[in-house]
Amino acid sequence: MSPEEKPGAAKPPPPAPARPAPKHPGFVTVTVDGKEVVAKPGTNMITAAKTVGADIPYYCWHHRLSIAANCRMCLVEASTSPKLVPACQTALQEGMVIRTDTARVAESRRAIMEFLLLNHPVDCAICDQAGECKLEDYYQRMDAKPSRLEGDKVLRDKRRVLGPLVVLDQERCVLCTRCVRFMEEVAKEPQLGVFARGSDEYIDVFPGRQLTSNYSGNVVDLCPVGALLNRDFRFRARTWFLSTVASVCTGCSRGCSAYVDFLGQDTYRYRPRENDAINQSWLCDAGRLSYRTLNVDRVSTAAVGRGDDRREVSTAEALARATVQLKAMAGTAELAVLVSPACSNEDLLAGLTFAKDALGVRSLYVGGRPDGAADKLLMRADKNPNRRGLEWIAAALGLGLRPFADLVSAIDAGRVKALYALGGEVPVPASEAAAALGKVEFVVLQATNLSPVTAGVDVLLPAAVHVEDEGTFTQAEGITQRVRRAYPPRAGVQSHWKWAVDIMREFGFPVTLASAREVFQEIAPKVPELAAFDWDKEAPPLKTTRGIAPLPTGADGRPPGYREFGAPRVRGI
Amino acid sequence: MAQSTDIEIATALPEGEGELEAHLHTKRMLINMGPSHPAMHGTVRTHIELEGETIVRMDPEIGFLHRGFQKSCENVTWNQCLPYTDRLNYASALMNNFGFLNAVEKLAGITIPERAQYIRLIGSELHRIHDHLTCVGAIGLELGGFAPFLYAIEGRELIMDRVTELTGARLTTSFGRVGGLNRDLPEGWSERVLKSLDKCHELIGEIDTLLTANRIFVDRMKGVGVITADDALDFGFTGPCLRASGVSYDVRKANPYWVYDRMDFGIPIGVNGDNFDRYLMRLEELKQSEAIVRQALKQLPPGPVIVDDWRIALPPKPEVYGTIEGVIAHFKLVMEGVPVPAGEVYDSTEAANGELGWYLVSDGSGRPYKVHVRAPGFAIMSGLPHMVVGRMLADLIPTFDTINMIGGEVEQ
Repeated sequence: MSPEEKPGAAKPPPPAPARPAPKHPGFVTVTVDGKEVVAKPGTNMITAAKTVGADIPYYCWHHRLSIAANCRMCLVEASTSPKLVPACQTALQEGMVIRTDTARVAESRRAIMEFLLLNHPVDCAICDQAGECKLEDYYQRMDAKPSRLEGDKVLRDKRRVLGPLVVLDQERCVLCTRCVRFMEEVAKEPQLGVFARGSDEYIDVFPGRQLTSNYSGNVVDLCPVGALLNRDFRFRARTWFLSTVASVCTGCSRGCSAYVDFLGQDTYRYRPRENDAINQSWLCDAGRLSYRTLNVDRVSTAAVGRGDDRREVSTAEALARATVQLKAMAGTAELAVLVSPACSNEDLLAGLTFAKDALGVRSLYVGGRPDGAADKLLMRADKNPNRRGLEWIAAALGLGLRPFADLVSAIDAGRVKALYALGGEVPVPASEAAAALGKVEFVVLQATNLSPVTAGVDVLLPAAVHVEDEGTFTQAEGITQRVRRAYPPRAGVQSHWKWAVDIMREFGFPVTLASAREVFQEIAPKVPELAAFDWDKEAPPLKTTRGIAPLPTGADGRPPGYREFGAPRVRGI
Repeated sequence: MAQSTDIEIATALPEGEGELEAHLHTKRMLINMGPSHPAMHGTVRTHIELEGETIVRMDPEIGFLHRGFQKSCENVTWNQCLPYTDRLNYASALMNNFGFLNAVEKLAGITIPERAQYIRLIGSELHRIHDHLTCVGAIGLELGGFAPFLYAIEGRELIMDRVTELTGARLTTSFGRVGGLNRDLPEGWSERVLKSLDKCHELIGEIDTLLTANRIFVDRMKGVGVITADDALDFGFTGPCLRASGVSYDVRKANPYWVYDRMDFGIPIGVNGDNFDRYLMRLEELKQSEAIVRQALKQLPPGPVIVDDWRIALPPKPEVYGTIEGVIAHFKLVMEGVPVPAGEVYDSTEAANGELGWYLVSDGSGRPYKVHVRAPGFAIMSGLPHMVVGRMLADLIPTFDTINMIGGEVEQ
């Protein structure tokens, strides 16, 4: 203490160094690897660095979760600190100089990779994550050195079943806590926790509880390594054999953006696709598992006859049969049309045009899946992905919409002699609907999946699902999204719009529409809400990387891993 | 350059001559030689217009062996391109393997270990002997001498046996990997190579004795299929066919790669640019290659045969099966390939028929963005009509032999 200072008097703190005036007012200007980055205040350093090509690695950080800064992978050099700082947690400051490419940073990353792999089991060959695993990517980029481990690895619970959809391999876990934070912050159902301390730490559910959330599948997507695995997908496919297209989940009217992962002509899973307006980065479990209907119990061939008279026929014969009977009834009040709001806009555009112009109906009965459970995050009660689109299109074409109950009462009253149904989904138990339809003299049904309804119709036309054709869906809030075709439908199966166009042509109308695109371009301008939608520009790109994109499986120019006869049948869990 | 020699044809009957004494009406005959013809090696079709026995026009048509080699490479990782390169000049697959790898390594900035450079050089020169023996033997055979062919094939078999011991395959070697070689020399291999070379030396001497001073052989070879140095350069000739015309250009000397600058060897140069000179070039190169292999085996240093970097070379198997680091590196290399930095490169090596050039483009991924191969045979094949038009049909056979057209590399 200097003699001038009186004891007890607080020393005034040294004046804070003057903050430099922002170079770009309203923004923070920093330098990353010698390149200037101008960012909005509050931008994360990882995001800011990415804009100039500096790819900072990370495990625990996620742009929709709180920051934990526990993986230490994103350590970089910053002029504001003598030590390395975690990029995910450090706020950008005006004039900050950040280096991500120095030897010191590289050595830190290498050391962290070495620690992470120290107790990691030798599992790539049997791990579902292999191919999309950050440990693999970063090891090859940051380390690529042999193991220096002497002795044995720590063993933990390798198959800890956390819930109906998720299984945890605690040996593979890097304790990034993304899953714990997700359940707490996004799903708001804190069912996961970190237990024990230090090197004994592990992720688990609370004792006696299960991971039963409807959002549990997201922790599998969030897990940067192969610790949390989807029990539905586990051991079914190697990820590098799967091709991917951008699509939507058709499980409910939320219409979450999703990726469809497929091999051959089978869909293997949905993964959430980033979309700020609809689903952020998430999918609910119910929607995630709705891919199953794309593969099983499909209507695969055209058929005529009811019950014991049912026989499979060629497309041409089925078309001819449908045409003769429908034509005879066209324009009469005894012909009804049933449409499903689960169909795409293109299907509805063509189908409703057919109903109006060729069948001469004034109103439609609306089928579709019955309402179900809803929650506060994503899942909606209306399970039909395109009800809004149906309303728009019907209004534009001047067609009224009537509930399914009206159809049942009309049938009971004997006012319906013939029925053309676009989509086999019904809002009542299928057996009830089948009983009602059984009273109609002649029913033509285009359906994707088998049900009691499809068994009792006179002409059954196999329809394609949304991943088998290009198209658009309009979800509950009125957002229209384009979906891409993953693979072509199997022989004899075709889209709803194609069936409608074919029957219309049989009727003698000069229709030349040959693709979903043409259907949209031709008819959508009549629908005010869809007129401004640019079908081509809104299409998510099929290519996500530079250079030549291998064609999706099932197309020509076989990509690696293509199997002529579909996926190998691998035993599930 | 190529021209067609139009020959005036008398069609009018001389006055007073009876019909019996009249000149025959003559017309040019169009014949197809190949694609299935014993002298048209490698399924090439030539459309020949004959005036009597003289070739007045010739149109070689390639493509029967086209496999889409360059495009196929874009769908596989860099190392997986190797089996495709085997099938370029299938008489000297090792040179294609190593030439391709050399270009990839140049693009990736990798220097391979010294021992790998020596082994690549030895393999290349062995396959040069293999290739030239095939060529010289076939010339002898097609000009009526069966014995030289048998001698050549005997020597060739010896080389093939050694190559089989080294690579595991007689023809489609797929040897070497980016960064070096996939395996070292087998035990006792060097001694067996030396023994085989002794035998080859003897056999080459026999062929030399049987053919070089043989009147029938020389008459059909000398002054036939002549191409001047200027024309050869214009057509883009390289290798023995260019050197036979008197141009001293050999990539091994002009731009030495691997350890060629440490070898003492000569480059034979011809004078006349005819079939006989091209034959002599090959005979002399056989001897030079033998000398190079002997020197290289003597100098062969110990050490690793592939770079010690798990981003490029597969980890040793115990590491793959026993450690997570090894299995990750193995997995990434196999599934995604060696990451070659984005960029483009041209690199060439001296293959048996001349400059084998590679133009590669990488987009930074584990697969080629573009692969183009400059096959020496393609340029030489394009000069064939120029060399045979105006000559007899029979002269096409030795000329086609001495340019050593290999369907695999010309048609890719």
